[in-house]
Amino acid sequence: MVRFKNRYVLCEVLSDDPRCRQCIEERAVGLAVRDAIGRVHGDYGLACCSVSFTVKYLNAYTGMVLLRCRKDSYRLLCSALPFVRHLESRAQRYPCALNTLHVGGTIRTCQKFLIQYNRRQLLMLLQNCTNEEERQCIQKSLLSCSLTEEQSQSGDEEDDDGTE
Amino acid sequence: AEAPVAAFERRVLRSAAPHHYLRVRLELPDGGARPNAAQFKQLVVSALRELHGEVGAALPVDLLTYEEKTLSAILRVISSGLVKLWSALTLLGFYQNRRCAFRVLQTSPFLLALSGNSRELVL
Repeated sequence: MVRFKNRYVLCEVLSDDPRCRQCIEERAVGLAVRDAIGRVHGDYGLACCSVSFTVKYLNAYTGMVLLRCRKDSYRLLCSALPFVRHLESRAQRYPCALNTLHVGGTIRTCQKFLIQYNRRQLLMLLQNCTNEEERQCIQKSLLSCSLTEEQSQSGDEEDDDGTE
Repeated sequence: AEAPVAAFERRVLRSAAPHHYLRVRLELPDGGARPNAAQFKQLVVSALRELHGEVGAALPVDLLTYEEKTLSAILRVISSGLVKLWSALTLLGFYQNRRCAFRVLQTSPFLLALSGNSRELVL
């Protein structure tokens, strides 16, 4: 079988600055990653990785980014991700770091991983709660989220779907 | 008693030598100042940095000999980096805004093989 195989890299954008969240958009992240690949791997690496490179999914609230690239050049991409240090958009740049969570062959495997990861993160957040009212707040919001029929599936599926 | 039959063993190594050696010549058609050894090495490293980035610039390249009069040198590079070095030298076009070109005269995994060149043999 001859077909083009892709690799999907799931990363998390970490930043000390809370204003960095507004900077997380597809164009800014794409440019920052391309610039880092150009610095680390040169013109050849940049051209190799740009063949089928896009930001497939982005969530500014949780800082999740899903990047796609060809299977032949995913190692170049993954090795250049630690060199992304700033995100720039609308003439503002904020320092940030990209943490690689998962590399998958399809969007579906990355989504499955993301659901499990978010479930574990929510549990950890609940455990690290300092006072009682935060705990109550989190528990209430967890129990209240649910899948509604008319909303699109993709928006809800990476959150805890409230069935537990 | 008969002598034991000698076992036949064949070992094939794809690239046993750790380094590759290249004899290169820099062509600078205009008659300007010639680079010295340090500037030559800087040129090679900057060519690697342009084409292959910081990873390429960190490739261990050694300048073994350099002749300023003929601008020819012998470079040594680790075997896994030969393709990166040769492609970077091929695609280098400018030295200090002057047109230049690298010609690779000989290449071999053994330094001794660079001492003789059958192309320059006068019969």
